[in-house]
Amino acid sequence: MTDAGTPPVNGSLILVVEDDPQIRRFLRATLTSNNYRLLEAGTAQEALRQFGMQHPDLIILDLGLPDLDGLEVTRRLREWSSTPILVLSARHEDRDKIAALDMGADDYLTKPFSAGELLARIRVALRHALRTAQTDEQPVFVLGGLRVDLAYRKVFIDDSEIHLSPIEYKLLQVLIHYAGKVVTRDQLLKEVWGPTYTNESHYLRVYMGHLRQKIEKDPARPQYLITEPGVGYRLKTE
Amino acid sequence: MLGPNGKNRTGLETGRDVLTLHQFPEHDLTSNRNFKRSSSWQAYGIATLIAALSTLIVGVMATRFSPVNLIMIYLGGVVIAAAYCGRGPSILTAVLSVLTFDFFFTAPFLTFTVYDSQYLITFAMILIVAVTISSMTAQIRRQADAAHEREWRTANLYSLSRELASSVGTETLIQIAAQHIKNIFDAQIIILLADANGQLVMKISATPTLPMNPHEQGVAQWVYANSQPAGLGTATLPGSQGLYLPLVTSRGAAGVLGVYPNQVAFSPEQFDMLDALTNQTALAIERSRLAEETERSRVQIETERLRNSLLSSVSHDLRTPLASITGAVSSLLENEYTLTPESRRELAQVAWEEATRLNRLVGNLLEITRLESGGVHVEKEWQPLEEVIGITLNRLEAQTNTHPITLNLPLDLPLVPIDGVLIEQVLVNLLENAVKYTPVGSPIDLLASFEDHEVKVTVADRGSGLAPGDETRIFDKFYRALPSLSGGAGLGLTISRGIIEAHGGRIWAQNRPSGGAMFGFTLPLEGDPPEVDLEND
Repeated sequence: MTDAGTPPVNGSLILVVEDDPQIRRFLRATLTSNNYRLLEAGTAQEALRQFGMQHPDLIILDLGLPDLDGLEVTRRLREWSSTPILVLSARHEDRDKIAALDMGADDYLTKPFSAGELLARIRVALRHALRTAQTDEQPVFVLGGLRVDLAYRKVFIDDSEIHLSPIEYKLLQVLIHYAGKVVTRDQLLKEVWGPTYTNESHYLRVYMGHLRQKIEKDPARPQYLITEPGVGYRLKTE
Repeated sequence: MLGPNGKNRTGLETGRDVLTLHQFPEHDLTSNRNFKRSSSWQAYGIATLIAALSTLIVGVMATRFSPVNLIMIYLGGVVIAAAYCGRGPSILTAVLSVLTFDFFFTAPFLTFTVYDSQYLITFAMILIVAVTISSMTAQIRRQADAAHEREWRTANLYSLSRELASSVGTETLIQIAAQHIKNIFDAQIIILLADANGQLVMKISATPTLPMNPHEQGVAQWVYANSQPAGLGTATLPGSQGLYLPLVTSRGAAGVLGVYPNQVAFSPEQFDMLDALTNQTALAIERSRLAEETERSRVQIETERLRNSLLSSVSHDLRTPLASITGAVSSLLENEYTLTPESRRELAQVAWEEATRLNRLVGNLLEITRLESGGVHVEKEWQPLEEVIGITLNRLEAQTNTHPITLNLPLDLPLVPIDGVLIEQVLVNLLENAVKYTPVGSPIDLLASFEDHEVKVTVADRGSGLAPGDETRIFDKFYRALPSLSGGAGLGLTISRGIIEAHGGRIWAQNRPSGGAMFGFTLPLEGDPPEVDLEND
C-alpha cells in the first residue's frame, strides 16, 4: 500500500464545483499540471448537468454555492452515484462539512488548504473508489510497522503479534476499510457498535485511546490513528 | 480654613467640632418640647412650694424684722419663681405671697382684711415684678430655644450634607438621606426617582411589602410634574397620607421625596427643615448624576481610543504578512527567467509561510470577536484529554521539532467534559507561545493532573520567564511580552482565557521556581461522567 509516490490514476476526470474564480484558477493549475483532466462548474445546477453528461471520476465540491446548498448537491448525487466527493469548506461551515460527510461525501478540506493536501486527498479517494469497484479487499493490510491479516484477524506490530479486543479489532478494521479517508464519529459508532450508539461518542474516544495504546509507539503522538478534530478519525496512509 | 486662624485649626479640632454637632441629637428639640408640655403642673407645684417656703422664712423672721424687709423675702421668692417657672406659676407665687403676707403678717392678723392701704402698693408691685420678670425670662428662653433649634437644624443639615458629600452613587445617597430624614422627623420616608422615560420608580420604600396605593402614586406624580410640594399639610391635596416634596435639580425634578409622619402633622419650622433637607438631597442626587454622566463619557472616550488603537494594531498585523506575500509573489512573476531555483523556492516558501500566518491571524481575530460577543458555543463532550493533546502535538509537529516536549499524563486521567476543538486551540496557543519565547532546544513540559473535581493542565518552559506584572497583563488583548518577536497579534492568550472561562475553568501564568514560565488551566469535572461498559478481553 505504499503507492503514494506513484503517479495518480492516469488522466482521471475531475469535476470542480466552485463559484470563486480564483480558487478555480488555483485548482485548474494544480490539477492539470498533475495530469488530471478537468471539468468546471460555477453553480450546482451546472455541476449536476455536467455530472450527468460526463461521468467524472471525482468531484471537488465547494459547500458555499450561490444557487444550491452543497449538502443538497451531495444528497442528489448520492441518490444514484457513488463517485467520490471531496468537500471544500470554509471555517464557519464545520457543521455542513460533517453533515456532508455523513451524507456520503468521501473527504473534506478546510480552506485554506495546500496543494499537497488536496492531491493526497484526491489520490486516497480515487484509490478507495477503485478498490470498492473491484470489491476484493487485500487480505493483508500493511502500513509501516503495522500489519493486519484481515483473513485471520491477526494484528502485528513490527512482526510481533498483539492482542486486540473484539471491539478494538472491529474499530481498526473499519478504519482500514476506509484507509486514508476521514471517517466521521457517527459512521464509526454505527459500524462498530450499531445504529443505537450514535450519541455515545465517548465510547469511541475511550476505545480509540485503547487502540492507540496498543498500536502507536507514542499514543500521545499517534502516527496512524489520526483524530480529525470535531469530525472523526482517519487512518493515515501517506 | 484659609483665614488667619487657619494654621491653628487642626484636623483633630475639626473632628471634635463634628463630633459635637453629631452629638446634638435630634431628641434635644423633642425633649424640650415635651418638658414644656408635660411639666406645667409641676411648675405650678414648685411655684406654690416657693410661696410656702417664703411664708415659712418670713414667719421665722417676723418678730425681729420690719414688714418692709419681710416683703423683700416674698419678692425674692417671686423673682425666683418668675425666673424659673414661667409666667403663670410666678403670678401664682405672687398671689399666694400677697395672700399669706396679708393673712399672717398684717394687722388685723389671720384675716385677709388690710388696714393700712399702703400695702396695696406693695401687693401691686409684687405682681408687676412677677409678671415683668417672668415675661422677660420667657422671652429670653424663647430666644434661646430658637437659637437652639437653629443650631440643631444647621447641625442636621451639616451632618446630612457631610455624609452625602462623602458618599458616591445615587443609590447610596438616597439611602443616607432617607435614613437621616426618618430619624429627624420620626416619619416613614419614601424616595421615588424618575427613570429615563420620566416614570417615577420607587427607590426607597417605607414598607417594603406594600406597594404605593394609586392615589398616593398620583400625588407623587403631580409633585414630580409640577415641581411643587403637595399632600399632607400643604394646600394641594391635603387629604393624602403623605407629604410629597419634589427633588428639584437645575434640570427640573429628579424625583419625589414622600414623608409619612408617625404622629402629628408638621409645624412650619419642621416644614422648613424638611424643605432644606430635601434640597440637600436633590443637590446630592444631581451631583451624583453629573458624576455618573462624566464617568460614562470618560469610559466611552476610553473605549473609542482603545478601539482605534486596536484597529491600527490589527491593520498593521494584517498588512505585514500581506506585504511579504505581495513582494515574494511579484518577484516570482516578474523575474521568472532570472531567478535561480533556490531563490524561487525561497520566495514561494515566504509566501506560503506568510499566508499561513495571515490565516491564523484572521482566525484569531474572528475567534476573539466571537468570544467577546458571546457567540462561541461550547459543545462539551466527555472525552479523554490525551486525545486532545495528541491532536495538538500532531498539529504542531513542524513547529515543535525544535523544542523537545516532555509529556507527563497520569494513566488514570478521567474523561473530561470539554469542547475538544476549543481546548485544542488553547493547547496550541500555549505550546506555540512556549516555542516562540524560548531558545531552540529548550525543553517544554506538558503536565496534567487530577484533583478535587478538576483536571489541571500545565505547560511549562525553561525560557527567561515572565517579566514582573506580565502574569496578568499577558492575557490582555493585543499584549505581546516581546513586541519585537514577529508572529502573533497578542490574541492567543486572550482567546485561551475566553475558552477556559467558557468551560468554567481558570487560567493563569506564573514563573517556575526553577526558572522559566508556566501556564496552567483547570477544567472542572461537572456532572456525572458517562459509563463505558468495557468488554471483557
